Amino acid sequence: MPFREIGSKMVEARVAPGQRMFSQRGAMIAYKGEVSFTPSIQGGQGGIGSMIGRRLAGEAAPLMVVEGDGTVLFGHGGHHVEVVELSGDTLCVEADRLLAFDGTLEQGTMFMGSQGGVMGMVRGQVTGQGLFTTTLSGHGSVAVMAHGGVIRLPITPGRPVHVDPQAYVAHHGDVRNKLSTALGWRDMVGRGSGEAFQLELSGQGEVFVQASEEKL
Amino acid sequence: MAQFRLQGGKVLAVDLAGDTVRAKNGSMVAYDGQMAFKKLTGGGEGLRGLVTRRLTGEQMEMMEVKGQGTCYFADRASDIGLVTLQGQKLHVESSNLLCADGSLRTGTTFTGLRGASQGNGLFTTTVEGTGTAALMSDGPAVVLRVTPQSPLQVDPGAYVAHTGDLRQEFQTGVNFRTFMGEGSGESFQIRFEGEGLVYVQPSERNTIGGDV
Repeated sequence: MPFREIGSKMVEARVAPGQRMFSQRGAMIAYKGEVSFTPSIQGGQGGIGSMIGRRLAGEAAPLMVVEGDGTVLFGHGGHHVEVVELSGDTLCVEADRLLAFDGTLEQGTMFMGSQGGVMGMVRGQVTGQGLFTTTLSGHGSVAVMAHGGVIRLPITPGRPVHVDPQAYVAHHGDVRNKLSTALGWRDMVGRGSGEAFQLELSGQGEVFVQASEEKL
Repeated sequence: MAQFRLQGGKVLAVDLAGDTVRAKNGSMVAYDGQMAFKKLTGGGEGLRGLVTRRLTGEQMEMMEVKGQGTCYFADRASDIGLVTLQGQKLHVESSNLLCADGSLRTGTTFTGLRGASQGNGLFTTTVEGTGTAALMSDGPAVVLRVTPQSPLQVDPGAYVAHTGDLRQEFQTGVNFRTFMGEGSGESFQIRFEGEGLVYVQPSERNTIGGDV
């Protein structure tokens, strides 16, 4: 069920009978046909166990289930929308940046601290994103929101990409992340360049960066 | 020399090969390769520049970026425009300057009454030399040409930058209606005369003049 971008801030999704789609609650703008919107108390897939997991992890974004036969327009807060096609790989994204995604994708929560140990935990704290992130894997498409448009940067082995934690949106592929610090005495005396913490992404994949340092 | 490229209008990509650029503090969003960031006290203009900036209130928090690779800059989803300078002088509000080639010199000049109406103080930043500078604007900026035959009037809140041999003058259209509270909201303008280019954004900052 592909998403079609309308302008840069809206997506149109086709819903067919027997297929489900998840979207952020309240993100529907308009629809045609017979479509129903049911709030998903569990906040996504995977039953009660996953729900508790997400609640504990703080990655429980209010979602709704979209079902029926028709087309639906999604958009939220005037944010730019980027459609990501997944073909078997895993996308890591913050739950509050998810606009809509296919029901065929498998949703999960990943503990970021497990990547990079103590530094991974520090990363979560520093970036204000918490220690957990949402993962989506399988075949299908995802609509991700970002402030001010997204650029895609390829990550190849031996050529890591450093990203400002506030401008990081999502990544997919076989990517390891770690927090790299460039703290110097200047930062300690309040004369820092504002770039003391960076997210270092290495491996093979792609990272999405937004043109702004604002959180959604 | 550093290569400036625009990536989708809101992200600036700069290719560095061991050279330096100056950018607004904290505006890096991503990079690959090796980069070092160092804050420049007083905009990198030395002690005299530091004192001038403190006194004039034309604060500019800049950092020096040096390294090998590509560095990406963006700030609050502002639109970015590139200006190539070949010895001319660019006048720009310090809040609109995102990035400048390391070889460009920056400084402060007195603008007169115009600054007060913009709420940006009486001074503006100048960029001089040979190289590229990146300007930020709220919405894509348009470039308007000024010739001796056709002077240009600009809303102080929409002014971003200008280059060339331009005289600027502050003009008011205040009449009795303004005092009755029936002003059109266009009581103050900057008038540019001479030969040059003016960059205007499709949005207005909050100015003292904008309300009357």
